Amino acid sequence: MGKGYKTIAFYPQRCDGCQKCVEACSEFHAGSTDPVHSRIKVVEAGGAFGLALCRQCGEPQCVMNCPAGALEKDTETGVIKWDRDRCVNCHICTLACPYAGITYNVVSEEVMKCDFCEGDPACVKACPLGALELKRGAEIFNEWAELEDLVVPGISACLGCNSELVLRHTLRRVGSNVVVATPPGCMAGVGTVGVNGKTGVKAPVFHPLLTNTAAMLAGAKRYYKRIGRDVTMIAFGGDGGTADVGFQSLSGAAERGEQMIYICVDNEGYMNTGVQRSSTTPYGAWTSTTPVGTVLRGKSRDAKPMPLLMVMHNCEYVATASTAFMEDYYRKLEKAIEAARRGMAYIHVFSPCPTGWRFPPSKLIEVGRKAVQTNIVPLWEYENRVGRIRFTHPVENPLPVAEYLSLIGKFRHLDEEQIAHIQAQTQRKIEVLKKFTSEQTTTTLHHAA
Amino acid sequence: MFHSKYLIVGASHAGLSALDAIRLIEPEGEVTLLCAESTPPYSPTILPYVVSGEVRAEEVFLRRSDRFERMGVRFEAGARVVSVQAGDHSVELESGEKWEYEKLLLATGAAPSIPRIEGLEGVSYHVLRTLEDAEKLRAAMSAAKEAIVLGAGLIGMHAAENMLKAGLKVRVVEALDQVLPAYFDPRGADLIERAFLEQGIEILTGERVEGVAQSGGRVELSLSSGKTLSGDLLLVSTGVKPRTEYLKGSGVEVEEGVVVDDRMRAGGVEDVWAAGDVAQARGFFGDSKRVNATVLSAVEQGRIAGMDMVGDSALQPYGGGMAVNTYTFFKHRAFSVGMGKVSESEDDFEVDQVYLPSSFCYQKLVFSGGYLVGASGINTELDPGVLYQLIRRKVNLEEEKGVFSAKPLEMGRVLMSQVWR
Amino acid sequence: MGKVIVCDGNEAAAWGVALARPDMVAVYPITPQSSLAEYISQFVADGIIKADLMDVEGEHSVLSVLQGAALAGARTFTASCGQGLAFMFEPYFRTPPLRLPIVMSIVTRDGITPQSVWGGQQDAMTVRETGWVHMHCENVQEVLDTVIMAFKIAEHRDVMLPVNVNHDGNYLSYGVEKVEVPDQEEVDVFLGEKNVNWHVALDPERPMGVDPLTGGAGGIGPSLFVKYRKGLCRGMQNALRVIEEVHREWGERFGRKWAPLVEEYRLDGADYAVVTIGSMSGAGKDAVDMARDEEGKRVGLIKMKTFRPFPRKALCEALSKVKAAGVVDRSVSFGWNSGPMYQEILSSMYFLSTPIPAISFIGGLAGADITVDHFRRVIDETQRVLEGGEVASEPIWLNEST
Ligand SMILES: Cc1cc2nc3c(=O)[nH]c(=O)nc-3n(C[C@H](O)[C@H](O)[C@H](O)COP(=O)(O)OP(=O)(O)OC[C@H]3O[C@@H](n4cnc5c(N)ncnc54)[C@H](O)[C@@H]3O)c2cc1C
Ligand code: SF4
Ligand code: SF4
Repeated sequence: MGKGYKTIAFYPQRCDGCQKCVEACSEFHAGSTDPVHSRIKVVEAGGAFGLALCRQCGEPQCVMNCPAGALEKDTETGVIKWDRDRCVNCHICTLACPYAGITYNVVSEEVMKCDFCEGDPACVKACPLGALELKRGAEIFNEWAELEDLVVPGISACLGCNSELVLRHTLRRVGSNVVVATPPGCMAGVGTVGVNGKTGVKAPVFHPLLTNTAAMLAGAKRYYKRIGRDVTMIAFGGDGGTADVGFQSLSGAAERGEQMIYICVDNEGYMNTGVQRSSTTPYGAWTSTTPVGTVLRGKSRDAKPMPLLMVMHNCEYVATASTAFMEDYYRKLEKAIEAARRGMAYIHVFSPCPTGWRFPPSKLIEVGRKAVQTNIVPLWEYENRVGRIRFTHPVENPLPVAEYLSLIGKFRHLDEEQIAHIQAQTQRKIEVLKKFTSEQTTTTLHHAA
Repeated sequence: MFHSKYLIVGASHAGLSALDAIRLIEPEGEVTLLCAESTPPYSPTILPYVVSGEVRAEEVFLRRSDRFERMGVRFEAGARVVSVQAGDHSVELESGEKWEYEKLLLATGAAPSIPRIEGLEGVSYHVLRTLEDAEKLRAAMSAAKEAIVLGAGLIGMHAAENMLKAGLKVRVVEALDQVLPAYFDPRGADLIERAFLEQGIEILTGERVEGVAQSGGRVELSLSSGKTLSGDLLLVSTGVKPRTEYLKGSGVEVEEGVVVDDRMRAGGVEDVWAAGDVAQARGFFGDSKRVNATVLSAVEQGRIAGMDMVGDSALQPYGGGMAVNTYTFFKHRAFSVGMGKVSESEDDFEVDQVYLPSSFCYQKLVFSGGYLVGASGINTELDPGVLYQLIRRKVNLEEEKGVFSAKPLEMGRVLMSQVWR
Repeated sequence: MGKVIVCDGNEAAAWGVALARPDMVAVYPITPQSSLAEYISQFVADGIIKADLMDVEGEHSVLSVLQGAALAGARTFTASCGQGLAFMFEPYFRTPPLRLPIVMSIVTRDGITPQSVWGGQQDAMTVRETGWVHMHCENVQEVLDTVIMAFKIAEHRDVMLPVNVNHDGNYLSYGVEKVEVPDQEEVDVFLGEKNVNWHVALDPERPMGVDPLTGGAGGIGPSLFVKYRKGLCRGMQNALRVIEEVHREWGERFGRKWAPLVEEYRLDGADYAVVTIGSMSGAGKDAVDMARDEEGKRVGLIKMKTFRPFPRKALCEALSKVKAAGVVDRSVSFGWNSGPMYQEILSSMYFLSTPIPAISFIGGLAGADITVDHFRRVIDETQRVLEGGEVASEPIWLNEST
C-alpha cells in the first residue's frame, strides 16, 4: 500500500489528435502502424479529445471481474498484466473497465491492453505536444500539492477549520497573480491579511468591508484591464458578507458582469462573531440568535438559496462545492478561472464549522460527505454558455437527512416534525434544481426575469 | 470454537471483492474465508471453458496460492456452512465446527434451479455450477454423442457451443420465443440463433418440456408441441436460485434471496451482510429488489459489503443492479447493458439502431430523458464498460445527444476520459 | 489660453474632471448632483473623458469600486450628496485611513427629514470629521479650477488623502456663468505624473496585505494603531501647506489666484467681519461693498474655502484684524444649537490673544437664497455686538420668515 505506481496522464488541452501515439503503439506491439493494434486510442467528439487507455488502476475493475484470473496487478511496476494463456476471451473485462482500457482487437481476435512497453511507453515518447506524460499516480493526484501553498503556516483558524482548507486549496489552484479579498468574517479573522503588519497570504490581499467585496474587486479589475494587465480577482466571502449585508454589491457586480471569482464560504451563520444566524442558516439550526428554549426551537426559516439566485443573475459560472469532494471542487475552480475572464464566476462552498456547529474537528470531512449524500448539499454547476444546471455528483438514492443531522450538535434538539420538514425541503430543493437542468426552463426563467 | 472478526462465507467474486475492501482499510484484523468446496477460489463463469477443455481445471483459480497468506487472511476450503446462529454471532459447519464472528458476510452464490418436470427426478442429468459439475459433464461428454440442453440462457448457450466443439450433436430447448431472453431483444436473439443454426446446433424455442423419461442410456423428452427428443446427455440450465437453505431458522430475511439494503446489510438480523448471487438487492431502474446474478454485480456488491463491514466512510450506497453482460460465441461478440431490450415502439424511450444482418452486426442505444438507459451490440466496436458507466453514473447527455448518437464510441470515450485525470 | 464657455457648476466640475484625465469615474445619480453625473457620462460617451465609467448600483458601491481601482493605481473621481453621501458613508469614512487620493464633488444638499431635495450644506458638514479634505467653492470658475487642483492636493506625497470639492446645490449646480476652460497640455504639466498607489497597493507585482488587523490591548496593536492615526493627522496638517502651494502654482500658471484656505475681503480698516462659506460669499461681498462704500460701515468679509483640515492659523490671522464677527452657516449643529462653522470659529478664538464677540447666523437651508438683504441684517447685528450689545445664546435664522 502507498506505493506510487506510474501511469500515463493525458492532457487533452495539449492534444491535437495527430495519432502519432497510436501509430507508435501499434508499431511497438505489432510491427505495423495499423491503429487496430494500438492499445491507446485518441478520439475526437464534440470538439474535445478523449483517451481510451488503461489507467493501470489501483483498484482495477478488470482484475476483480475477470473469471479466469488472467489479469493481475504487478506489485513491482503497478502495471495490470494480461495473461494470454489464461484468458478465455469472455470480454467481461471490457465491461468492467470504465475507460475502454482493455479492448478487443478484431485482427488478433483477443483482448489487448497497455503493458507500458516494458516500462518505457512508446506513445509518451511519440507525442510531439507533451499531451501524454508518464507520472506517478500519486503525482497526478497530488499535482495540486506541488502548487505553492500561498497561505502561511500557523494562521489562527480553529482546529479542523474548513474555511482554511478552502482558502489553501483555492489559492493553490488560482495562483499568486491575484488580488484576494477577505471581508470580515472567519476568513479575515484567521489572519489572511495578517496581524500587526505581518501578512497571512503570499499574494496581494485585503479586507474589504463586509458590504463591498464585489465592488472593490470590480474596481481593481477594471483598472488592470484598462492598463492591459491580466490579474485574477478572487473573493472569499462568508455567508453574511455574501447573502446578507454584502448582497447588494455582489448583485450589482454580477449584473454588470464584473470579472472575478467570488467564493462564498458558507458556514451557515456568523461564526466569527460568536455563532449568530445569517440568511443561509438552515431551518431548525441552533445559533446564539436562534436559540432553543421552551418557545423557540432553532431557526424558523429556510436558508436563502444563494447559488440559484446567482444563476438568475446570469453569471458566467455558478457552482456549489464541498471540501469532501476535492476533485469536484478543483474541476470547478478550473472552470471558474476560465469563466472569470468573461464575467462573474460564483462558487458556493459548503463549509461545516466544528466550533460553531458543535461537532468534533475529526468529523469535518464526514459531515461534508454526508451533506452531499443526503442531498442537503447537492453538487452542481451552471455554465452560462451551456445554459442549464448540471449535477456534478448526482445522488439518486439519498440517505435520510437524519444521518447528516445527527452528526451535528446544532441540530441536536430537532424533533421529528422538524426533521420531516428538512427532509421535505431537501426533496423540494432537488426538484427545483432538476427543473433547471433543462435548458428550456432555465432560459424561460431568465427571460421571464 | 473458532473466532474471526470478519467471517466471509463463499470464496468467489463477491467474497473476494469484500475481502479486498476490508483489507484496504484494515490491514491487520482477523479475516476468514469459508468455502464449501475443496478447491482454491474460482469463478463459475469459467466453467464452460473447462467443459470445452480450453482451460484445464487446475488453471482456473482466481488468486495465487500465496496471496491469502500475504494478506494475513485465513482461507478454509471444504468448510460448508450448514446453519447460522445470528443471535450468538456464530455459524456451524458441516463438520460440526463452530465459528464465531463479529461481522458475517454471506456470499454463497446461487445454485442451478431445477424446474418441476414430470420424470426429471428419475433421470440422470447434468447441471453446471461448480468445478465438480464441470468435470463430471466433461467426463460424460467423452462417451456421449447427442446432447440436449434445457434452457437457452447464458449457461446453456455457452455449454451448447462447447459441447458442439467437443464433437457432440447438440439441441437446445427453450420455453420462451427466443434465446438469451434476459439480455437481447428478438432481433439480436435472432442473429445469435442464426449463428448457432449455421454451426449445426438445433434450437427449439417456444417449447415447454412436459415430461422426461429414461430408457437405457438415453433420455427422452416430450415437448408441448407433441414432439419428442432423445439424447444421451441432458444438461439442465434453466436458471439459478440463491443458495439459502442453510439460513433456515437463522432469522435472516429471505425472499428469493437474502434481502439486503443499500449497504448490503441483510434484513432481520444484526451484523450480517450478503452480496452476489445470494443477495436480493435494489434494482437500478427503480424496480423492486431482485437477484442479479452476474459477475459485475457480485464484485460491486461484495465491495460495498466489505466497505460497510469495515466502516469505510468513502462508501457510496448501492445504486442498484441491472442486466449487464458480455457474450462471445463462435468468434462473434455481443454485449448488453441496462434496458437493451426496450423496443422502438415503447413510449418514454428513444432508440437508435444500426442493423446490418448481412455483416452480422447489430447495435442499439436506448435513451430516456437525456440519459442513456440501455445498450446492446453484436460485433460492434462500442465499449461496453464505457456505456455501462454512462448509464450507472447517470451522465446527462441531453447536451451532447446529437454528437453521441453520431459518434457513440468517441463521445463515450471523451466523456469517460473527462472523469479521469 | 484656454477656451471660454458658458456653463453651470455641474458642467464646470465635469470639465475639471475631463482635464484631470482620471482612469475611472463612478456615478450614481442624486439631485442636485444628477446633471454632473450626466455630463460626465456624456463626456465619456463623446471621448472627452477617456475613463472607465462605472455605473454601479448605489453610492456605497460607487466609492467601493473607486477604492479598488485606486488600490490598483487608478486616478478616480465621483460625486454625490445628501442621502447618497449617507449611504456611501461606510466606505467614505474608511477612505482617508486607506490614504487613497480619491476626488469627489459634493453638490451640497440639505438633510432630510422633512423631505427636501434642495441645497444646504448639512451633508458636507455632517461628514466633516472623517479625514477627507473639504474645500468649498464660491463660483462656477472656482469649481472647475478646484476640481483640478484637488487631484494634485490629494495625490501629493505629503498628503495622500481624499478630497471633497463642495459646491452648493441649486446655486452653483445650476447657476450659469462664463468660465475659462484651461488647455489640456497646461493642465497635464500642472498635474504631472500620477502615482496613486505607491504607498499601498493591491498588485501581484508588489504583493502586500492591505489593512491588516491590529491586535487588541496587551500587544503592539494599539500603539501601531496610534501610529496610523498620527500619520493621518500629519497628512491633514500637511494638506494646509500643500493646498496653499497648489493654489499659488495655479495662480501663477493660469492667472486665477484663489484664496487657498481663508479669503480676507476688505479687512483693511475693518472693525468687524462677516464670515461666509461657499456661494453665499458673492452676496456677502456685495453687501459689504455697499455697507462700506455707501454707508461707511467698517465691515469686511472672511470666506472659508478650506474647512478640513481646519485652517486655524489663517483664520486667526484674519480674525485678529477685527473686533467682532458674524458667522453665517448654511447648516445646523444640533448639538450646539448654532451653525457648525460658528462653533469651530469659537474654538479657534482660544488661540487669539483676545477673543472677540461673534454671532451665529443660519441661512440658506433647503435651497433658500441668502440675499444682500440678509447680509445687511448680518452686518447690522454684528455691528450691534461690536458696540457692546449682548451675544444671544440662540442662532439667528435668516430665512425664518421668507
Ligand atoms: C456456467 C456459468 C457461466 C456464467 N457466465 C457468466 C457470464 O458470462 N457473465 C456473468 O456476468 N456471469 C456469468 N455467470 C454468473 C457468475 O458466475 C455469478 O454471477 C458469480 O460467480 C456470482 O458470484 P458469487 O460470489 O456471488 O457466487 P458464486 O460464484 O456462486 O460463489 C459462491 C461461493 O460460495 C461457496 N459456498 C456456497 N455455499 C456455501 C456454504 N454453504 N458454505 C460455504 N461456502 C459456500 C461456493 O463454494 C463458492 O465459493 C455464469 C455462471 C455460470 C455457472
Ligand atoms: S483495464 Fe481498465 S479497469 Fe483494468 S486497470 Fe486498466 S483502466 Fe483499470
Ligand atoms: S477476456 Fe480474458 S482478460 Fe478479459 S475478463 Fe475474459 S478472461 Fe479475463
